[in-house]
Amino acid sequence: MDRTKILVVDDNPTIRKGLSVRLRANGYEVLFAEDAISATAALVTERPDLVILDLGLPCGDGFVVMERLHKNDSLANIPVIVLTGRELADNRDRALQAGAAAFFQKPVEDVNLLFAIRKALDNSRGELRFDE
Amino acid sequence: MTEPTRRKSELTAYLSHELRNALACIQQFGNILVDGLAGELSGEQREYIGIMLENASKIRSVLDSALDGVPDPLEKCTNKIERASGLET
Repeated sequence: MDRTKILVVDDNPTIRKGLSVRLRANGYEVLFAEDAISATAALVTERPDLVILDLGLPCGDGFVVMERLHKNDSLANIPVIVLTGRELADNRDRALQAGAAAFFQKPVEDVNLLFAIRKALDNSRGELRFDE
Repeated sequence: MTEPTRRKSELTAYLSHELRNALACIQQFGNILVDGLAGELSGEQREYIGIMLENASKIRSVLDSALDGVPDPLEKCTNKIERASGLET
């Protein structure tokens, strides 16, 4: 059986590495993208089961990635968990309205992120709203 | 939006992004070590990383208060200092 594939989109390589260690330890296959363009390409070519998405990205931002994802019928059901260093004001509500399954500000507690991942995967439409 | 307000907003966004990312790295790798994902730790090593994580958590609380609109407890302190100064003069 294929392992659940998670696409981590973040321009910070240390954040990517830390998430990779934690997610792999929990049985997930992890892919990376470091900007909005490569994230969009990875969505199409890799078809991940879930996306962990930073908002502040080169070549666009996380909202651009979500917009592209939701415009593509074959990708629209992939749940997105936003994990960002941006401030709460505006960004949380905007991200949830844009279709994010969950919104976390960095730093996130591992247990909360892993819980949100499991819940979002259980709900392929990403209708869950979970805030730390 | 006035120029000072705009600049303050930009500074807040910059600080939030930079400090939260740095703090996330400290917390991520601290927890990775504590959870033994990079090998077993001695009791002393575990204790020291615990201290590091505890203080990272305190920094996070300060960030949440200072950058995300939670009432700033320092405002009260400032008022107290002003009143005390007033009594002295």
